[in-house]
Parts: sequence; C-alpha cells; structure tokens
Amino acid sequence: MTAGGRRLPTSLRRSAFAIVALALAFVILAPLTSIDAAQQAGLPLLTDKLWFRIATTVLMFVVMASGWNIIGGLTGYASFGNVAFFGLGAYTAGVLVSNLNWPFALGLLLAPVVAAVFALIVGIPLLRLRGHYFAVATLGVGVAVGEVVNNVVPLGASTGLYLPIVRSDLIFFYLMLGAAVLAVLTTWVILRTRFGYGLLAIRENEEAAAVIGVNTTFYKVAAFCIAAALTGLAGGIFAQWNSFINQENVFAISDNVQMILMAVIGGAGTVLGPVAGAISLELVIQTLAGGGTSSVYSQIGLGVLLAVCVIFIPRGVIDFFGGRSRLSLRYFRQTLRETSA
Amino acid sequence: MSQFTQQVILGLLLGGVYVAVALGFSLVWGILNIVNLAHGALVMVGSYITWDLFTRLHIDPFLSLPVDATMLFVIGYALQRGVINRLIRAPLLFTFLLTFGINLVIVSLLLLIFTANVRSVTPSYSGSGLLLGSIVIPYIRLGGLVVAMALAGILWLILNRTRTGAAILAVGADRDAAQLVGVDLRHTYALTFAIGAAFAGVAGGIISTFQSITPTAGDPYTLQAFAVVILGGLGRVSATVAGGLAFGLIEVLGQSAPGLGSGYANAIAFVVLVVVLVVRPRGLLGRLA
Repeated sequence: MTAGGRRLPTSLRRSAFAIVALALAFVILAPLTSIDAAQQAGLPLLTDKLWFRIATTVLMFVVMASGWNIIGGLTGYASFGNVAFFGLGAYTAGVLVSNLNWPFALGLLLAPVVAAVFALIVGIPLLRLRGHYFAVATLGVGVAVGEVVNNVVPLGASTGLYLPIVRSDLIFFYLMLGAAVLAVLTTWVILRTRFGYGLLAIRENEEAAAVIGVNTTFYKVAAFCIAAALTGLAGGIFAQWNSFINQENVFAISDNVQMILMAVIGGAGTVLGPVAGAISLELVIQTLAGGGTSSVYSQIGLGVLLAVCVIFIPRGVIDFFGGRSRLSLRYFRQTLRETSA
Repeated sequence: MSQFTQQVILGLLLGGVYVAVALGFSLVWGILNIVNLAHGALVMVGSYITWDLFTRLHIDPFLSLPVDATMLFVIGYALQRGVINRLIRAPLLFTFLLTFGINLVIVSLLLLIFTANVRSVTPSYSGSGLLLGSIVIPYIRLGGLVVAMALAGILWLILNRTRTGAAILAVGADRDAAQLVGVDLRHTYALTFAIGAAFAGVAGGIISTFQSITPTAGDPYTLQAFAVVILGGLGRVSATVAGGLAFGLIEVLGQSAPGLGSGYANAIAFVVLVVVLVVRPRGLLGRLA
C-alpha cells in the first residue's frame, strides 16, 4: 500500500508503463538517425519540425501540470499563481544570459532556485489562507509579479527580453523531456515518503493532520517550493528555447488555468494523471489553434472545453479509464445530479 | 495641500467605480459562494453596449445604463440557470475553472464582434468639470460616483425590503432551510447572478465614459473587485461601499507615491489584498465568518 490514495489500477499502470517505455525507446533512438537521416528514411513524426515544437510544448505542460499537482492535487491548495514561478524562472535565465552574458547552463541551474526562494517568501503568508482566499491571492501573485516585471527597465519592461538564438530542436526537446521525467519522478518519490503521507493528510483534513503531528506549515511551504522549482525549471528552458520572453508569454494566467485543467482532467493527486491530461489537452488545443482558424476560436474552444470538462467529468478521465466507473450516459447524469442545483 | 485634496477627491471618485464593480461580485460571492472570474468580462459587455448605443444612436452614456442593466440581467440569468447551476454544489476549484472558461468565451466573443480596436465613449461634457477653487471635479467621474451610490441603495432596498431579497438572503444563509420553506432554489440562484451581472453591466457603462475599452480591459476589474470585497468585508452592502471607496483612495495615493506609476495598479491591489487577508481577514466592516 502506498501513500497514493488514488492509485491507478494495475492494468492501466501496466499499459502506461508500456507506452512510456515505447516513447522512451523512440526518443533515445531518434538522435542516432538525426533529423536529416530520419527525413531520408521517412520515419514518421521525426521528419516534422512542427512536431518537435508541439512535443516540446506538451512536455513543458507535463512539467507544469505535475508541478501544480504537488501543491494543488496532493496538498489540496489550488494555486492560481504557479505561472509566476514559470515567469520568474524564465526571467532568471533571461536576465543572466542576455544581460550578464552567463552561459545558459548556469542560468538554467539558477532558474528553479529563484522560483523556489520566491515561493518560500510568498508561501509563508499565503498558505495560511484557504479556499477562495488562497486561490485569488495566488492569482494576484501571478498578475502582480508580471506587472512589476513589465515596468522594470533592466528586465526589458514592456519590450521584453531577447536571448541569443540557439538553433536546435533536439536540445530543447531533451531538456524538456528531462524536466518532465524529473517532475514525474519527484511526484512518484513524494508519494512514497513520509512527506507525501503528510501532504495527503493535509489535503484530507488539515486540523487532523496537525493533531497527529504533521508540521503543516513546513509541509505546505515545502510542497509549494518543490512545485515552484519544477515550474521555474520549465520557465528557464522556455526562455532559451523561445529566445524571447515578455509579460504576455511567460506570465499568462490562461497558462495557469491550463495546467490546473490538465491535472484535473487527467486526475489530480495521481502520478501519471497530469501527464495524461497535459498530453491530451495540449494536443486538443494545438488542433484547435492549428486548424487554420484564428486564435480567437481556439480560445472559445478552450473555454467551452473547460466548462464541459468540469461539468461532466469533475473527477478526471482517470475515473473511467481507471476502471472505477463505466463511461456512459448514466455516468454523466449521475455526476450532474451530484453537483447541480 | 490642494494637490493632496485633489488626490483624495480623485481617489474617492475612482472608489465609486470600484463600488459599482464590486457590488455584483460581492453579492454573487456572498450568496452563491462563487468567486466569479467572468465578472470583468460582464463589465466589458456593459461597456460595449454603452459604446454601441453611443456611436450608432448617439445615446448619452448615462441614459444607456438601464439598457446595460436589462441586457446583462438576461445574460446573467441564462448563464446561471443554464450553466453554472449545474456545478453549484461542486468543490470551489470547479466553479473557479468554470467561470474562467466563461470569461474566456465572453472575451473571445467580444473580440469577434467588436475587434481588438481601442474604443472610447466621448460625450460633449467629457472634458469639463466642476471647479472649486483650484480643485477640479470631472463631471463624468462625479456622475459615476452618484450612480454607484444609487446602485448600493438599490441593492440594499432589494435585499432588505422585498420578498425576493428575503429569499436571496435566506439562500445565502442556509440553502436547505430556504428550500424547506418553499424558496425555488434554481430560480433564486439565477436571479442572484442576474442581479450581479446587471450591476456589472451598469459599472461597465460608467467605465466606458472615462477609460478606453478593449475586450480584455475588464480582466483587472475582477481582481480589483476581489480586493474591494476583502478590504470591506463580505456580506453587507455598506461593507462593499466602504471597501470600494477605501480601495480607490489607496490606489490613487499609492500611484502618486515616488517610484510607482499607473502601471502598478494590479500590484497595489495585490499588496492590499495580502495585507488585509493576513492582518484583518474579515475586512473593515465584515461580519465574523
């Protein structure tokens, strides 16, 4: 018995591992051929540069959704300010590389550190709040940090920061993959430690957790910092990958909502739920955005998707893919009856 | 000294706008326990209706406020009855996500209908104001404050002097008990949200007279409405009025502080929010939870 109160059933875990193993094999074999060689050999997917971009974006959201899952899914504190950590990580790498001419590797190492330190500072007062108050206060963190960055001249103010362009799809794909694996492993390890039990206890009943000796403040802040470090790491990679950062592309509240939705759709509180949610939702969003329509329609699509998902499958797709419930009209009717007026 | 008085007056006038924006937000939060992230988008719908009536039919922005209220009332009723009611008993994270989705859809629809171009409503009197010595009080701002106070009065009357208001308050106090004594829950939820939306629409009409509007211009108002409710306290009309005026003062005085500027409006709102939440969680006039 592990700490995961919402563990996946064995059959799903087996198939998930098989898929992950296949994906890993594919990814490890890819550089042996190189993109050019793959093009000549006509291997699917690898011939397409767009596919690399999409795959890297998907992995980025795997990191962010898994990071959110640690504070939102395991600890039960729905943070709407995680995007601030992403932005801070991006700006840490950005400022060090473009203003101070540091090598990217060093900047990338500092990105999660800065994000985690910031999480420590804001986490101590904010994690005393609960429910709506915590959610909106963290939303405020995201908006306010973005606004400050947008006004400070050494940070590029409203023009943004440009980083030297590095032309390699593979490097960033692997960096994001590494970050994604790290995020998933972190969640997996947490769920098997005393620390993980503590977080789940806080989620289920914070007073009771405190009574049985969980140092709730320390646990919550630590979970917040871990989430921040992971998200900041993804931000740091994004800064160099995109080679341009500004308030709009690294402090977007809609990104924060996306990571929550991914974790929730996939199944919050599980190890692989956020991964499944990030892959499926990001592919849907990319399809909406790439279908020749403007971004307005993809925004409408995302909004409607959001509404449909939270109304009809509030417990995440893992509920019926995991075999706990059958996917049927009756399931929808029942979830509706449970929550509606 | 007169510089400072001018700032204080401007702060109170701006505070009036915040009162107008926050009244509906506070009602929906207090009664339905929903933090409505689509509130700013509803405000903008009101702005665009006023703008449309002004540019096409040359209707004075203050005269179009009842139209804003009526249309937003209908939209609000339909939204709550058709969509949000389905999720009213779900954990708050879900209503949060749902209202964010509604916000996204409304903003995108506004983008489709009105494009992203910056619009403004400029009646003939928009540049002039009341002169008191060296102090200027712009007419449109004064009109906004008057409308905001009227809104607060109307809300107080609805809640405390009508049968509907009694039903709304009863639902807010205890849903099950209200249902037992014969309150139609679904209708009352929808009515509450509709009133909140109507007030948002009127606030939007006021906002369009002094600020240029774009589809996303409403987003900051959601966070500011939240800060106002936190500052004043939840559950009373008078608390929202006090919170709004105080917040307007803080923002104007804060922005005139050295080193800060108008670019920091959200950051100031956030700092106010956190300080109040940590120091005095029930706000200036709020009741103990």
